[in-house]
Amino acid sequence: MNTGQPNWKRIALNLATVLVRWLLGAVFLYTGLSKALHPADFLKLVRQYDLVQNSLFLNAIAAALPWFETFCGLLLLAGVAVRGTALTLMLMLVPFTTLVFHRALAIQSALGIAFCAVKFDCGCGTGPEFICRKLAENFLLVLLSGWLLTGHGRQFSLRFDLIKSRSRQRGSDVIRE
Amino acid sequence: MQSGSPDRQPAVKWVLLEAVLVAVIGAVFALAANRISPRGLALTRNYFPEGTGRLVSAAPPADRSHNAAGTNSRAFDPTQLLAAELKEKGLQLIDRSQAMQLFHDPRFKQDMVVFVDARDEQPYREGHIPGAYEFDPYHPEKYFDAVLPVCKAAEQIVVYCNGGDCDDSETAAILLRDIGIANRKLVVYGGGITEWITNSLPVEIGGRNSGDVRNPGK
Repeated sequence: MNTGQPNWKRIALNLATVLVRWLLGAVFLYTGLSKALHPADFLKLVRQYDLVQNSLFLNAIAAALPWFETFCGLLLLAGVAVRGTALTLMLMLVPFTTLVFHRALAIQSALGIAFCAVKFDCGCGTGPEFICRKLAENFLLVLLSGWLLTGHGRQFSLRFDLIKSRSRQRGSDVIRE
Repeated sequence: MQSGSPDRQPAVKWVLLEAVLVAVIGAVFALAANRISPRGLALTRNYFPEGTGRLVSAAPPADRSHNAAGTNSRAFDPTQLLAAELKEKGLQLIDRSQAMQLFHDPRFKQDMVVFVDARDEQPYREGHIPGAYEFDPYHPEKYFDAVLPVCKAAEQIVVYCNGGDCDDSETAAILLRDIGIANRKLVVYGGGITEWITNSLPVEIGGRNSGDVRNPGK
């Protein structure tokens, strides 16, 4: 019910969501560029996961992934296709975090040390990190991406919905009114 | 600018479609950016000939001593492991005293003994073994003109990188071998620039023969 009073709860939620979007955008822009500027180093790190044996696929992953992250970071900062970008990032983060986890387990097993004492460069763009911290960071990134899927915080966005169906357009019109 | 928050959730299918569009456009953008970037990777090149790399997955479990960052360690002899790995690939490992001997060899002045630095441009410029040629094996085309004739004429070629976990010297040596440099000439200095600097040996700052030679430990 609109009482004419500002809905502070909603304003706070929208503001927080915009900040989350900018934070996520900045994180992916930074990590993407830090890898894109040193693609050979990233190639070596990707290779350690033994994902693919074919050099063409390996090169394509190492060449494209950093720029793809950069692209997603830019979209989030500008507020373009926000939910689609957030979903794409979630779909990237979940399997990648699983790979990092498995690699940490392999290192732990090889070295016979505590799981949280495992420290390595996972190719995440932030250099060598303790695995428990890395997993917590990735979990947080997944949560924040999920938050953006709620569709709040449309302020300061160039084109929040890339695809504007008629029904969605009507919805937006209603919101503006 | 848009304002407000949605009164109703958009259909899931539109978000999915948006995600697919982001993925497709993002992939095209990423490959184009890699293509344009001067540091971009060549998709069709095999950067790891003959399975180069001293990585966790490549080492037998009993000998696994480090991860990618080299931050975990267990008692073992890394030099022996490295020598065995290089031998498997037909390459010979040399230690610091042999590297120093070659550095002071009179043939070094006539480019009959050549040092090749397999790191990329920035660390090379920050300090390399004096007179060493820059040869980043991930962008070899930039260096072929300068390095190939010298390596063909040389009697001994010492390839090095950072040392420790770094396997770029191995990659560079195999690359040089693959393009026709005789294997007998090639040796890998396993300790690399880190060991060289740690022992207060001279390093050259900037380009090759810049004249700016310093002894870091002195």
